[in-house]
Amino acid sequence: MLPTLGHAAIVVGLATSVFAVVAFVVGGRRADATLLAAARRGIYLTFGLALAASLVMVTSLLTHDFSVLYVANNNATTTPPFFSVISLWAALEGSILFWTLLLTGYASLVIYRYRDRHRQLMPWTGATLAAIATFFFAVMTWPGNPFIRTTPVATEGPGPNALLQNNPFMGLHPPLLYLGYTGMAVPFAFGIAALVTRRTNEEWLAIVRRWTIVPWIFLSLGITAGAWWSYEVLGWGGYWAWDPVENAALLPWLTATAFIHASMVAERRGALKVWSSALVLATFVLTLVGTFLTRSGVVASVHSFTQSAIGPWFLAAIVISLGGGLSLLIWRLPDLHDRDRPAATVSRESAFLFNNVLFLGLTFAVLFGTLLPLIVELFGGGTISVGAPWFDRVNVPIFLALVFLMGVGPALPWGGTSWKTAQERFGIPILAGVAAVVLVLALGMRAPAPIATIGLAVFVAVVMGDEVVRGTRVRGRARHEGPPTALWRLATRNRRRYGGYLAHAGVLVMAIAISISATLGTDATATLTPGQTMQVAGYTLTYRDFANEALPDNASVIEHRAEIAYAGPQTGTLTTALRDYPSSTTPIATPAVRTSLGEDLYVTLIAYDPTAKSATLHVFVNPGVMWIWLGGGILGLGAAFAIWPDRRRLPAEVAEELTAPAPSAPAEA
Amino acid sequence: MALDQAQPSRSWPRGALWRRLRWIVVPIVVVPLTAVLFTGFGRDPSVIPSPLIGKPMPSFSLTALDGHTVSSAELAGKPLIVNFWASWCAPCVQEHPVLLDTARRYGERVAIVGILYNDTAEGAAGFLARYGDGGWPDLLDPSGGTAVSFGVTGPPETFFVDASGVVRGKQFGPVTADVVTAQLAALGVKATP
Repeated sequence: MLPTLGHAAIVVGLATSVFAVVAFVVGGRRADATLLAAARRGIYLTFGLALAASLVMVTSLLTHDFSVLYVANNNATTTPPFFSVISLWAALEGSILFWTLLLTGYASLVIYRYRDRHRQLMPWTGATLAAIATFFFAVMTWPGNPFIRTTPVATEGPGPNALLQNNPFMGLHPPLLYLGYTGMAVPFAFGIAALVTRRTNEEWLAIVRRWTIVPWIFLSLGITAGAWWSYEVLGWGGYWAWDPVENAALLPWLTATAFIHASMVAERRGALKVWSSALVLATFVLTLVGTFLTRSGVVASVHSFTQSAIGPWFLAAIVISLGGGLSLLIWRLPDLHDRDRPAATVSRESAFLFNNVLFLGLTFAVLFGTLLPLIVELFGGGTISVGAPWFDRVNVPIFLALVFLMGVGPALPWGGTSWKTAQERFGIPILAGVAAVVLVLALGMRAPAPIATIGLAVFVAVVMGDEVVRGTRVRGRARHEGPPTALWRLATRNRRRYGGYLAHAGVLVMAIAISISATLGTDATATLTPGQTMQVAGYTLTYRDFANEALPDNASVIEHRAEIAYAGPQTGTLTTALRDYPSSTTPIATPAVRTSLGEDLYVTLIAYDPTAKSATLHVFVNPGVMWIWLGGGILGLGAAFAIWPDRRRLPAEVAEELTAPAPSAPAEA
Repeated sequence: MALDQAQPSRSWPRGALWRRLRWIVVPIVVVPLTAVLFTGFGRDPSVIPSPLIGKPMPSFSLTALDGHTVSSAELAGKPLIVNFWASWCAPCVQEHPVLLDTARRYGERVAIVGILYNDTAEGAAGFLARYGDGGWPDLLDPSGGTAVSFGVTGPPETFFVDASGVVRGKQFGPVTADVVTAQLAALGVKATP
């Protein structure tokens, strides 16, 4: 009964979203307020229906209703409630449903927020969002129906994907990523609307900047959380493997980041308009490509679900949105001429331009590496794979150049500057960077990547610090404010600039931490019997005992556990395990990670012999990893600060603005 | 590349040519991407062709649910279906009627043996009581050693072995009546009409 209602909600959702597309287009052309209001209600209804279908699915999972095939394949009577709920995104059909829920949620927010503004743009924005919703409802009606029933009804299922089940983090990483992915539909819809209505002035850019940064924050946090999950769960001691699906999340992040920078030039100087539109288009198409890669089984990856009939549908959606968007862009080229040209070679505009060229370079490099196996196969070259070393070699230099620009760009004035000013601004920071390099060399560091990163990061940090200190001092003197007050007021009155600085500071922290952890870690493997010890980078590990036990909250999962005492920079005991899940044929590693500000002690059990009670341990000492997660948090905080609505200026809009999703807020707001 | 397009089209250098050729950009971008993504179709990354095909079946000697010991040697002499399954496996429930039907249609000309995968005798007995027992032996593989030697990655997986004990076919996921008919026909047996 209940699953039938869920399916009905999806079918009605399909009809409603088709209605909304037609009503927005017709209503917009005739300027028919009644029809447009009906179209808006249609969008809200699609959200209600997607919510109802999702609740039905969650209820089916919680009640272990194995008559629903999705539940039979992804749940067991022993599955704890928390993991039953998050099984909504454990497999293909459920994640499409969850995706639709988030997409219609975003669409409803946007449509409600601008219900009586931007009268020319909104009908086409609404129509585009409704068309995307139509696609997802259609996928759920035909090839990816989440409510397919099965007979005979099983009494027990295999439980969720073991990797999903093994760590509560799976409750966080996919929703963040999906919030990022689906939100990119909003700037795309505004971009299409601007092109269709030929309102390609700064209006749509001003709206879209915020609506890009919100999903961008989610995407950034989602990627960071994914890296964290990979580190805490997969047990190989690392956090980023250039897996096709990781790349699929990184690609739209790269183009969205490029857009956030390009749109500032477009908005302030009226330049780079075609470019900004192209980036918005690319970002949305790349989210579809990412989904296609993840969900169609086209590339081999830990994330791949099995092959499904959804692939051709997504390919069609990619072709339609890319072909259609690009055609529209080319058609409207005459409207997109720049107001004025980038002035001087050494100006903020040209720094932004280089920034975008580099981001484009990264995007192409990652896309090329991800698709190369398919390209080679297309030309009959057999099966190949592109490994992490290739990605590292290509992307690290580009990334270092971006770090350099991060220091140069914001310190340069719009329009251009003289070499003399440039020397004044950058002289001391360059010396500081060189001094930092000399210092780390003197301390004995020899790996080139962290040395270069630290030198550049110090340069950028000094440039930013100089700007902040100078601004604070000027304001403090002029208004007789103490430094903390002056800094806070300065920052909250220039949110974009200071939020940007904070986000950049987060990137610096991440960059240094990544370069150090990737090159300066140590690891060792040893097979021990109880009582034996091993030494790794200042730690002494004593293997105490071995145990086999069912998990207390899920009796179908057997844990094979090594108990270890460790002493060194950190001291204590830990257990590291391999778990046997009924749904998985390979045991799932459960590494133990002891985190400190300086380094992580990371112990993973590779193999065991229950009769001899011996255990083979792989021990990593990874320096600086915690700072990667902290840097990701600072990055998100900075971006949130930049777009946080200003209470003082627009009191009437604040209440509405607060309903827009924003994950983290500075203490004052 | 597209950065050049940021220039105003009215003052575009060689404007006329560009205006005529600009539509070419669409197929230049769309067609290769589509072709590349399309290449991946029809490929299931989870399918690895079994290295066992054409090789003798791995030998085993396991205890059946009824307590008898069954060895691979006793099963030789006629075409054999080896089905790895578990009571907790939903697709196994799906394929079970097909196996029951196979036993009925082929009778004595084909042998069937089930090998339990990561399952207990109680679980298996409950499954058979609920969905029907076809009468063929179901063997317990408590260490999982036989599943490993067959290269099983997850139930259900079904191997089709000829009368001389050589593995001739493998099915990932549930078997259907068509799959069984085709595989057994390849081993030279036809169903009773």
